[in-house]
Amino acid sequence: MGRISPGLLFALPALIVLTMLIAYPVMYTGLLSVTDQQGNFVGIDNFQRVLGARTTPIAFTNTLWWVGGSVVLQVILGTATAILLNEKFPGRGILRSIAVIPWVVPGIVAALTWAWMFHTEFGIINYMLTAPGVIDEPIGWLTNPDTVMPAMIAINVWKLFPFVSIMVLAGLQSIPKDLYEAARVDGSNFLDETWHVTLPQVRPVIVAVTLLLVIWALNHITTIYAITRGGPANLTLITPIQIFRLAFESVQFNQAAALSVLFFAAVMVIVAIYIKVSSAREEKAL
Amino acid sequence: MMIFRKTAVLAASASTLAMMAGTAMAGTVTWWSPNFHAPRATELVEQFEAQHPDIDIVIEETTSDGLPQRVITALQSGSAPDIIDVQHGWIAGYAQNGLVMPLDDIINDPDDFIPAALDYVRWEGETYGLPFRAEGLAVIYNRGHFEEAGLDPDSPPQTWSELVDAALALTGDGRYGFAITGGGEVGNTIFRSLPFIWMNGGSIISDDATEATVNQPEAVEAVEFYTDMLVEHGVSPSSTLENDGTANRRLFIAEAVSMYQAGQFDLASIAQENPDIDLGVMTMPHPEGADTSAILGGWSFIVPTDANNPEEAKIFIEWMAQPENMGVYTDTFPARESAMDMERFQDPQLAPYREVLPFTQPVPTHPAWVQITQAYFDGIQRILIGQQDAQAAMDDAALDIQDLLDQY
Repeated sequence: MGRISPGLLFALPALIVLTMLIAYPVMYTGLLSVTDQQGNFVGIDNFQRVLGARTTPIAFTNTLWWVGGSVVLQVILGTATAILLNEKFPGRGILRSIAVIPWVVPGIVAALTWAWMFHTEFGIINYMLTAPGVIDEPIGWLTNPDTVMPAMIAINVWKLFPFVSIMVLAGLQSIPKDLYEAARVDGSNFLDETWHVTLPQVRPVIVAVTLLLVIWALNHITTIYAITRGGPANLTLITPIQIFRLAFESVQFNQAAALSVLFFAAVMVIVAIYIKVSSAREEKAL
Repeated sequence: MMIFRKTAVLAASASTLAMMAGTAMAGTVTWWSPNFHAPRATELVEQFEAQHPDIDIVIEETTSDGLPQRVITALQSGSAPDIIDVQHGWIAGYAQNGLVMPLDDIINDPDDFIPAALDYVRWEGETYGLPFRAEGLAVIYNRGHFEEAGLDPDSPPQTWSELVDAALALTGDGRYGFAITGGGEVGNTIFRSLPFIWMNGGSIISDDATEATVNQPEAVEAVEFYTDMLVEHGVSPSSTLENDGTANRRLFIAEAVSMYQAGQFDLASIAQENPDIDLGVMTMPHPEGADTSAILGGWSFIVPTDANNPEEAKIFIEWMAQPENMGVYTDTFPARESAMDMERFQDPQLAPYREVLPFTQPVPTHPAWVQITQAYFDGIQRILIGQQDAQAAMDDAALDIQDLLDQY
């Protein structure tokens, strides 16, 4: 016993828990993906089946739209809100608190509330548009092929832009005041300050938050599943929902595991590229 | 090292305690019963426990929303309760994965059961569920609306063309004649549209499950008839793609819909929420010269392979399967003919639901059935959003379904 370093001994409980919580599920998923329901080894059968399904490329394309649309808008809106909330004006404290609300609301509550607001017959959005005569007919927000994915993205942006705001706001408050004073001496206005002082200063925060948002959006299931279940006609089917459907609705755990493994690999590649690119940029900036 | 030894002692005593708790638990049967069955479940359990003092039944209420996922998680995790109420259609999937026990030895009188109900829960010659509840959908209509539209509420539409005529006459002023479903869980739309295919002599897959038949003329004609309620005639609400059975009931209660396909469980909640509606019930209209049809729905008991007390659980469900207890427990009709004689099933409003029972059929038991219905449902939705016509949508669905069939 004496030869084992105390450091390792202290880390051991944590390592065991980590192994159980992370390594075991990952390995088990890998095992499921190459076996059939009876546990026999079947090689790449499951992979061929999920890749052969016509819904797989549809889900993949939808996922790209969903992640891209959500993250871009969340970052822009969140950063803009943060910069505004950083200005001095009366009632700033209250406004800061209000801005956090969407992030605090539980995902499922937000999703169901929005589903009702978007509803064709009973929804308040259509009511507000038809009552003053902005539109003649109620719009089927969640059933029209052109509006259903944007509606989902809008909900996701609403839900998470406050998170970006909080993070960026924290970053903004650590910018030294003399940078602004120097800029002002040089005669720059608010826009110049934002572009040349504020944004470069909070870029590390934005990069980190964006990475987090990409991972969240890739794994997100609540909003879409609670509202459309990936429908109508697979218009909002994203890969996580396809995996969920395969496993928990069709009881095809092996195919679901195969798709998870592929998805995991794709996500890893995206994340690796992203980290590489953003760290390279940072070095250049320094 | 002291700490380690102490922990070891603690762990050992903890496991002894757990084992003692385990022995004390013998005779306790955990039963997942949905909330809509629960009041009567409590009543029955009291009776049972009085007769079997050595067996303790603990009821854990479930809700139907998300229940399939909850059940499958419990079954897969190995820490399942002893008895679960599940829908007939889910059982084949559990049986193929070895998650539930065969129950043939406690089904004492198989001839007394509705044959379609037992067919549902059989897999490779063994019976994996004990069906206790059976039902088929019919059409509920608002008699007052019929009179306003100049239709006779005592002779509701019998055939498809009469149904369309009546629905058109009932539609107008923000009111819709006949609501179909196109949203929510896949099952909602399967239960409402597949009988139309059957009535027309079609099917989704061939009897031997080798060929997708959903794009053959009989099926496509029926799918077109169903979806035309929205696409062609506009007699189904514009929110059809968002609506499941519950949403349709809400629209019916709000008197925005005059006819919709509903179960007998809908009658009570409509009467309660809007007592002003004069309710009528009819069997689903059929093509000229054909019979009505419906999917046999309902619930069964299952005993998970990992149940702690399977023997006691079996004693309890064998007792529950006795006609008088089954008759009390079911929300709709019992799955046994002999339980049907009970007073509560003689209500005249239930007559059309009883009439339809002999015409009900189980859906095919196929390992990929859920995925098959998803492919079909996607096709229905493509028609409803106007992306494709019935033939093109069903051709695509048939491609997907054939792929699934070829895997087995």
